[in-house]
Amino acid sequence: MKNRLLNLLIVIALAGAFASVATAQTKKNYLIGLVAKSQGNPVFQAARVGAMDAARDLGQKYGVNIKIDWRTPNEEDAQKQAEAIEQLVLAGADGIAVSCSDANKLTDAINSAVDNGVPVATFDSDAPASKRFVTYGTDDFSCGEQVMDELAREMSSNGVVAILGGNQNAPNLQKRIAGVREEAKKYPGITILDAFYHKETPQDAAAKVEQVMQAHPEIGGWAMIGAWPLFTDNAIKWKPGTIKCVAVDALPAELQYLRDGYVQILLAQQVYQWGYHSTELLMDKILLKKSPPAVKDVSPLIPVTKANVDEFAKNWQKWLPK
Amino acid sequence: MNPSANHPAGGRFSGTRFPEKGLLLVIVGLGLLLSIFGGSVQRPLMQTDPDGTRHRVFHTNASGEQEPVFVKENKFFNSQNLAQLAKDTSFVAIMAVSAMFVIISGGIDLSVGAVYALSSVLAAMVFQRFGPDGAGSGVSPWLGVPAGLLACLGVGTLCGLINGGMIVTLRVHPFIITLGTMAIFRGVAFVITKGQSIGGFPQVFRDMVRAEVGNGLSLVPLAVMVLVTVAGGVYLTRMAAGRRIYAVGGNELAARYSGIRVERVKLSVFLFAGLTAGVAAVLSLGYYGSATSGDGQGYELNVIAAAVVGGASLSGGKGTALGALLGALVIQMISSGIVILGIDQNYSQIIIGAVVIVAVLLDQFNRWLAERRLAARAKAVSP
Repeated sequence: MKNRLLNLLIVIALAGAFASVATAQTKKNYLIGLVAKSQGNPVFQAARVGAMDAARDLGQKYGVNIKIDWRTPNEEDAQKQAEAIEQLVLAGADGIAVSCSDANKLTDAINSAVDNGVPVATFDSDAPASKRFVTYGTDDFSCGEQVMDELAREMSSNGVVAILGGNQNAPNLQKRIAGVREEAKKYPGITILDAFYHKETPQDAAAKVEQVMQAHPEIGGWAMIGAWPLFTDNAIKWKPGTIKCVAVDALPAELQYLRDGYVQILLAQQVYQWGYHSTELLMDKILLKKSPPAVKDVSPLIPVTKANVDEFAKNWQKWLPK
Repeated sequence: MNPSANHPAGGRFSGTRFPEKGLLLVIVGLGLLLSIFGGSVQRPLMQTDPDGTRHRVFHTNASGEQEPVFVKENKFFNSQNLAQLAKDTSFVAIMAVSAMFVIISGGIDLSVGAVYALSSVLAAMVFQRFGPDGAGSGVSPWLGVPAGLLACLGVGTLCGLINGGMIVTLRVHPFIITLGTMAIFRGVAFVITKGQSIGGFPQVFRDMVRAEVGNGLSLVPLAVMVLVTVAGGVYLTRMAAGRRIYAVGGNELAARYSGIRVERVKLSVFLFAGLTAGVAAVLSLGYYGSATSGDGQGYELNVIAAAVVGGASLSGGKGTALGALLGALVIQMISSGIVILGIDQNYSQIIIGAVVIVAVLLDQFNRWLAERRLAARAKAVSP
């Protein structure tokens, strides 16, 4: 009796194992390459988590295995990105999502991937002359306009504004600055002092803000088209509320400035969606042969204020790598 | 003349006739590892038309629908991947050959990435002028392309001349001078470009660098890399001027007393370093089609790492041109292997860093063995 029961258990276990192996074998595998601008930037880590979550969710939805292959240079390097795209094509990727450090340099690599039957989506930073089937992310010019619009409201449409511009190399940041300048024209009481560039590290950005404040005490507001200095603990030296500040991005380290009243509004880019939605778009293209209705898929910015900061902060528990 | 017979520092030339055999074994081992464990990949079959355009091959299935034809290939050991590996290696390897010259002479060049960037952006401006949207778009490419090439190689060489000139006239260690010029050259590139990407080059130039043979294989960077390595190797081992570099790096004072014009040797190695940065920049411009002042960030460390893995001794007097190429190849194979094996990229830096250290340790061990062998031989022949 005991032996028969044991045999039965073994048969059931073997059948289970066979069934699971058979299911795994029948499931089709898909490889999606994810090439962001730089490893160290937390916004791209959130995009990576988003892509991996999408791979899990869409894998269950369509009954397939989706693997995300993260191929991102340690620091911004468009040549390394182009090499990563070429290597991914050779490694058999079914689709690639890329945030372009230099559109010119990546256009040929993207076109070559598409010509080899691998669809490419861009996110965050586009390569408009390439054969990518969709670009997803913030409309940079509108982003700049929105920053200035919110800041003008906080400053009662009056005062001197400095723009914190990040890396002068980045075309998307140039568009944001152009948006800030264009929007400022709507407010006669607002004067744009200048755009101040710096290396995109928190320390360099914080130092730049400090230098500019020393030289121009008349500044009444900061339009930060990226919130680089707010990664440090001690970026802002003025008393909360005396100088108004609106910044793009709302990463966990930056939220405290909002709570403490140093920053009035953070405009959050949908960084998790960069990965999640790009994977969705790619799988729609690969599995369903479906292209989005428009090549430009714009994701709106989410305003985060003192009122909703704690609610927003909960998102980061999901978005950060575990 | 046997190069090992009177080499000032021994090392690479002593104890073995082919010092790179260890590196070659590593490369073969890595290749086997990646071929066996990399698995296979299904790729759409492509066809090249007589006019050079490539397109996918389709067949009609049982239900009358057109579907693409796929071919199964080994992920590592296939012509496209090997050509890709050679291309990715070439930019660093070309500069590593000249870095080897500098290191053999007892110097170091930290500005090579910045020279690469400055040559790139200045040449890019010339190429853009003769490109489809440039002011000189109507000018014959026979004028526009050589002008761009000359600008790129000329700027690189000039930067090398500035480096070498300051090192020999100011008598300051190359580390300090090239640390300074690294910032200056990159700064100049930034000021000139205002941080913008420069593209739109003559198609003839792009086609020349991206010229493909067979099944879409881009072999121009590979050919240039081989050419630079062979030229560097011949210069170092077969020409008196090359041997003087070893002499200076092995013992500068002894070299000076033996009548070698040390300053001229130092100037020449930095000149060559600048020139090869220009050559690598030409290939990058043609292949990728644009330049920014941020290009080549951190390449100085990649180039030095390739030279060190390739057998250079940072104290000078030791190394070969072929070693530099193989060192660059080992690093690139590991980098590509991480993709092929599907290893999490977060570990790539750790793996590459470990390989650099292991390579140096192996080389030191090899040298220790060679010295022991020589000592044993000397003991055996002594009465």
